[in-house]
Amino acid sequence: MCKIRGWSCGERRPTLQVLKSAARYARLLTPLLAVLLLTGCNVAIDTPQNTFAPVGEVARDQRHLFFLAMWPAVVILVLVWGALLYIVVRYRHRPGAPAPKQVHGNQPLEIAWTLAPLALLLGLAGPMIGMIIEQADRPDPAENPLQVRVIGQQWVWRFQYPQYTDSQGRPLEMVGRGTEPAELHLPPNRKIDLAIESIDVIHSFWAPRLGGKVDAIPGRVNHLWLIAEEPGEYGGQCAEFCGLAHADMRMRVIVHDSQESFDAWAREQLARQGQQAAR
Amino acid sequence: MAQTTFDGSSLGVLEALRQLRQQAATYRGIWSWIATVDHKRIGIMYGVTAFLFFLAGGVEALAIRLQLARPGAQVLDQEVYNQMFTMHGTTMIFLVVMPLSAAFFNLIVPLQIGARDVAFPRLNAFSYWTFLMGGLFLYSSIFFGGAPNGGWFGYAPLTEKAFNPGHGIDFWALGLQILGISSLASGFNFIVTILNMRAPGMSLLRMPVFTWMTLVTSFLIIFAMPVLAVGLFQLSFDRLFGANFFNPLKGGTPLLWQHLFWLFGHPEVYILILPAMGIVSEVLPTFARKPLFGYPFVVFSGIAIAFMSFGVWVHHMYTTGLGPVANSAFGVSTILIAVPTGVKIFNWLGTLWGGDIRFKTPLLMALGFITMFVVGGLTGVTHSMVPSDYQQQDTYYVVAHFHQVLFGGAIFALFAGIYYWFPKFTGKLLDEKLGQLHFWLMLIGFNVTFQPMMILGLLGMPRRIQTYPTGMGWDLWNMIATVGAFLIALSVLVFIINVIVTARRGQRAGADPWDGRTLEWSIPSPPPPYNFARIPVVRARDDFWHHKYREDPSGRPVPVVAGGANGHEEEEGHSEHIHMPSPSFFPLIAALGFPIIAYGFVLADYALVAAGVVVLLFGIYGWALEPASE
Repeated sequence: MCKIRGWSCGERRPTLQVLKSAARYARLLTPLLAVLLLTGCNVAIDTPQNTFAPVGEVARDQRHLFFLAMWPAVVILVLVWGALLYIVVRYRHRPGAPAPKQVHGNQPLEIAWTLAPLALLLGLAGPMIGMIIEQADRPDPAENPLQVRVIGQQWVWRFQYPQYTDSQGRPLEMVGRGTEPAELHLPPNRKIDLAIESIDVIHSFWAPRLGGKVDAIPGRVNHLWLIAEEPGEYGGQCAEFCGLAHADMRMRVIVHDSQESFDAWAREQLARQGQQAAR
Repeated sequence: MAQTTFDGSSLGVLEALRQLRQQAATYRGIWSWIATVDHKRIGIMYGVTAFLFFLAGGVEALAIRLQLARPGAQVLDQEVYNQMFTMHGTTMIFLVVMPLSAAFFNLIVPLQIGARDVAFPRLNAFSYWTFLMGGLFLYSSIFFGGAPNGGWFGYAPLTEKAFNPGHGIDFWALGLQILGISSLASGFNFIVTILNMRAPGMSLLRMPVFTWMTLVTSFLIIFAMPVLAVGLFQLSFDRLFGANFFNPLKGGTPLLWQHLFWLFGHPEVYILILPAMGIVSEVLPTFARKPLFGYPFVVFSGIAIAFMSFGVWVHHMYTTGLGPVANSAFGVSTILIAVPTGVKIFNWLGTLWGGDIRFKTPLLMALGFITMFVVGGLTGVTHSMVPSDYQQQDTYYVVAHFHQVLFGGAIFALFAGIYYWFPKFTGKLLDEKLGQLHFWLMLIGFNVTFQPMMILGLLGMPRRIQTYPTGMGWDLWNMIATVGAFLIALSVLVFIINVIVTARRGQRAGADPWDGRTLEWSIPSPPPPYNFARIPVVRARDDFWHHKYREDPSGRPVPVVAGGANGHEEEEGHSEHIHMPSPSFFPLIAALGFPIIAYGFVLADYALVAAGVVVLLFGIYGWALEPASE
């Protein structure tokens, strides 16, 4: 029997029909294309919580690690889908075709497709562990980090700055009120050393454009460091379900133009805090 | 005096039960279903019940999607929204995917191993009734002040009495406890069935892969469910009796709940997906007309996944601050679990390669499983990477990921199983045209719903928020996802129409409509109560195929002379001589005890608890004294 590119002549289908059936299966590729296009396009979109638009080292590194895992994943996805598409078109049932050979397996192939992903995945482990350790280290006091105490409570955030105190020795404090989100003011290009806790249920502190989240758990203090490199206003919100108004537990992250502008804001805020206490 | 009355009335009850039991043994009428211990009928009841819960969970999903379609919408208020997503998750996991898998265990396993029933038929009925009671108990919370609202994961201390004073969480904790009893009973039952009741000649490595995955899943169930039970007991003790397991003010540890829940919860993921992988491993060879490629590797990778699934739970807790050592160790173990999963996918491709692929609905559903599950697996790798997951944890990216696994994976495979085995148990083939429409609608609907969620997560949208402001870049994607959800609903409607149309005027299926490979296709459709007139003797893997075909020297199958199948053995059998277990009401009675006990605890009415215990003990007592077959 003669063969043309794998199709036996006798039952060769018109090209158009083959293309049509291929197009039917190509539909499976639409979500991939969508993801590719959108992840590609969304990288720079300036929305308040876009993890693809980092404004600091921590978030940028995390995005880098995501891409490090995502691109090989996309390649594997294309290969698996491509292989499947090829197989279902190439080996679809054709009337009169001989029954298929009863193949039971292939040991070298099995070993290969066990070891190859293993090697690839273990290759990811190195950078991953490196970054876990780097991001777990608390800033050295010599770096003069800004300390912020983050307190989660149903359903507002409370931010305290222990390095900035009023005349009675109370720290500068920003609290959300009702659905009015709390403001987290930060100086630019200075490490922020956050101590995160909760007074009731579990919450999770998350300002996506600065970095990933850390849970606020009653009975313990978790640490997180961040750095903001671009002045501006960004979003953040509680990421752990914390009850009725979980969706309202938001924050505004305001990164000042300079340390001076941040200090000025802090002085003004402390003065206001003092006045309110006096009243 | 009182003694006599008690004896008299209980004797009366027992006598009435005995008469009903004889009536039930005729296989006719409603009582024959209620008292049945036939694994096929129990399987059908599991399937129908789980499908009804699937519709309930689906309606909840649609309500959630309506609320999220636009920013600032007020379709559901915060409280109702929280109840909706809690019930959606709890329903789909415990009342849909697990019992649908149990339906297939019941329907298929005894037939695949050449047995007449499971090892403990009455325990099997007890599993079903306990599952039904657990599900109804959970949903009855609606009439006691509202459904549970703490999420399917029920994180303490939010679920503690101090923060959640209503009854919802009590219903949740006790309901899951009841469902756990059901799962444990069926887990033990199937382990014993598979290990002890295989037909002569069916060695472990001749077992069909679906039976293998049932065995592995059953072991996972008996090791994972008790961990959940411990956590739920602690939560219930905190709530009902003022214990302090999760109360940090009294020295308790909120994180203890998370460790227990996820030490159960991650094996649970594989409890949900391994049966689906087993179904796909049956469907692909049949429709490619080739044996499963790399059978031992598919089996052992399933076992490897089961072992590893107990060592990855911290990846649900990367952001809880367990420190870099724990995060690194569990990061690596999570990465590694992708290896055996990948092995399975490559072997399925190998099965299709060189085959004679017939595009019937079961195969399409199985292909849908592979294409969508691969996405789920690969997105799983992206958030096994710990620092990357700091961003993705608790966002819609994770929601997209696990729906890719549990819907794109498990649900597609379960539908593959429904289309594949429907003719075996009803004698009729589901309509192909409607089936294909169902598949394409569901595939498109699925992708339109869940791919936008990946983008939403990466754009910073957290899970479990009832609403969101505009200007976050989420509006469009949420709207698209909602449209997709309704496409999925439409596809399910097509399936329901298909079942109705088929019931009315479906094409008759013979014993072996797909040219199957395993023993269930060697007996009539629907199978007689005793399944096999004569217990088959198994000489090969895919034994039935080898009855129908021999391989020529080039390895191609050549039909054996017509009638070489088991068909003639059927006529020799005489059903009168086959002793089958008698129907029994006691499993149902025993199962009735659980919700009564649970209502007693919820309402702090200990007389009710005692009454429930009496019902339970009465059921067990009658069960123990009743002869298994009369």
